[in-house]
Amino acid sequence: MVMKRVKESIIVVLSWLCSLLLAGSVATIIGYLLFKGLATINLALIFGDTAPLEAIFLGRQVFNGLLPAMVGTLALVLLALIFAIPLGVAAGIYMAEYGKGRLKGWFSLFFDILASIPSIVVGLFGFSVAVFLHHNLSERIYPCLLIAALSLAFLVLPYIIRTTQVALESIPVTIRQTAPALGATKLQNISHVLLPHALSAMMSGIVLAMGRCAEDTAVIMLTGVVASAGMPRSIFAGFEALPFYIYYISAQYSDSRELASGYGAAIILLIICIMLFGLAFYIKARFELTFTARSGDKRRISQRIMKAPDRRKKSLKVNFQTEQSGQGTLL
Amino acid sequence: MKTKIRLSDISFSYGNKLIFKQINAEFAEHCITAIVGPSGQGKSTLLTIINRLWEDIPATNLHGKIEVWLNGTNGTPQDIYDSAYPADSLRRKVGMLFQTPNPLPMSIYRNVAFPLKLAGIKDRELVDHKVKTALRQAFLWKEVKDRLDDNALILSGGQQQRLCIARALIMEPEVLLLDEPTSSLDSRACKVIEELLLTLQQQCTIVMVSHYLDQVKRVADTTWQLEDGRLTRI
Repeated sequence: MVMKRVKESIIVVLSWLCSLLLAGSVATIIGYLLFKGLATINLALIFGDTAPLEAIFLGRQVFNGLLPAMVGTLALVLLALIFAIPLGVAAGIYMAEYGKGRLKGWFSLFFDILASIPSIVVGLFGFSVAVFLHHNLSERIYPCLLIAALSLAFLVLPYIIRTTQVALESIPVTIRQTAPALGATKLQNISHVLLPHALSAMMSGIVLAMGRCAEDTAVIMLTGVVASAGMPRSIFAGFEALPFYIYYISAQYSDSRELASGYGAAIILLIICIMLFGLAFYIKARFELTFTARSGDKRRISQRIMKAPDRRKKSLKVNFQTEQSGQGTLL
Repeated sequence: MKTKIRLSDISFSYGNKLIFKQINAEFAEHCITAIVGPSGQGKSTLLTIINRLWEDIPATNLHGKIEVWLNGTNGTPQDIYDSAYPADSLRRKVGMLFQTPNPLPMSIYRNVAFPLKLAGIKDRELVDHKVKTALRQAFLWKEVKDRLDDNALILSGGQQQRLCIARALIMEPEVLLLDEPTSSLDSRACKVIEELLLTLQQQCTIVMVSHYLDQVKRVADTTWQLEDGRLTRI
C-alpha cells in the first residue's frame, strides 16, 4: 500500500520534472536568442542602407538587409502550403472515409515511408527533377522557388494526411451518424459535419507543416535558395530564405557583428512563425464561426421569423393548439 | 389497420454472430410500436435496418426483405433495399432519433433547418416557415423563439432532444424511429417527450425502443419483445 503510494508520487514528480525541463529548455533557447540578437534588431538589419518605404515598394533592391530573405521565406511557406493542404486533406479524407482493405493498407505504408524520408533526400529528389526538366523540357528551368516549394510540400504532406485521417477517424459514431440519419449523402456528411468537426485537430497538422516549411534548410539548399538573390522576382527564380541565411552566416561569418545578425535573423524567423500560427488560428476561428452562430446577428433570425406572416394559418393554428395543450398539462 | 412497415424473414449477422433469426413483423400506420427486451439483443440495430443506417458498419450482413408503404405510391410497398432506391431518399421519409440528443455545433435555427439544406431547399421564407412549424410541433417554439441564433449546445438535455425531434420532423417524415429517446433525460423532460409522441402519432408511424415498461404501457399501441434473435408480439 505504502509502496504503491510512493510509486505514484514518484511518477508525478518525474513527469512534473520532465515538463519543467522541456519548458525550461524552450525558455533558455528563446532567452539566449534574445540576449544575443535583440540588440541587432533594427531597421538597418532588415532594410540595410535602403530606405524602408523604397525597399517595400521595390523601388530599390536591398543588398545587405534581411528583407529579401523574409519575403522569400514567407513566399516559400505559403506556396508550399497551397500545394500541400488540398492534396494532404484530400488524401486524408480518402484514407479515413473511402479507403478499404488492402489498398488502404498499401497507401498507409507508403505514407509512413514518405514521412520517414530525410529532408536532404527530398531535396536531392527535387534537385534531380529540376536537372531532368532542364535537360528534357527547357534550358531555362533551374532550381527555383517553385521547385523548392513543391519539394517542401512533398516533405510535409504526411503530417497533413495523417492528422486529417486521425481527426476524421476519431469522430464519435453518434456525430458520424447524425447527418446520414437526416438524409445526408456521404459527401454531404463529410463536408457539412465531419470536416468542420475535425478542423481543430487538422489544424495542428497544418501548423506543424507550416513550421517545418519555415525552418527546413536541407530541402531548399538543393532546390533553389541562394545567398544573395534579392527579392524573389518570380516563382521560376532563385530566392533567399531566413533559415539558409542563418546557416550561411553562422558557417562563414567574418566578425562578431555578422554573427549577431544571424541571431537577429533567428528572432525574425521565430516572429514570422508566430505570425503564421496566429494567421492559421484566425482563419480557423473565422471558419468555425460560419458553422456556429455569429455573435453579431443575435436575435436577427428570431425577429425575422416572428415578423413573417404565417403562410398556412389553418395548419399552424392546429399545431399551435397542440403545443399549448401539451405544455399546459405538463409544465 | 393499414400496415406501414413489413419485415419478412430478416436475418442479420455481425461478424460470426447471428443477431436476428428470420424475423417477421408488421407495424401499423399511425401507431406507436414499442420494442422491448433485455440489453444487447440488437434492439437499436433493428431500428437501423429500417433506415439502412447499419450499412456503414463493417462486417455486417443482412438477409430478408423490408417493405415500407410510402405515401403517394398507390398502395404498392417500396422495397427499401432495392438497389435503385437511394438510402438518402429513404432517410428523408424515415427519420431517426438517438438515445442521446445529438444537435450539431451550430445555432438552433441552423440545426432545425439542416435537413432542408441537405435536400437543397434554399427559399428563405419557406425555410423560416418550416423551422417555425417544426419547432412548434416539437413543443419547443416558446422556449427558443427569442434565441434562434444561440448555439444549440447550450440548451438543456430535454430541450436538445426536442430540438432533434424538430429537426427530424422538418422533412415531414412518414416514419419516426426512436432509440430510447428519453433514457438520458429526467422524469419531467421525459414526460414532455411522451406527450409529444402521442400527438406526433397523427402524422407519422412511430417505432420506439424502450427500456421502461411503464413508459411503454403509457404510450405504445402494440409491443414487441426481442429476445434471442426473435421478435414476438406481446
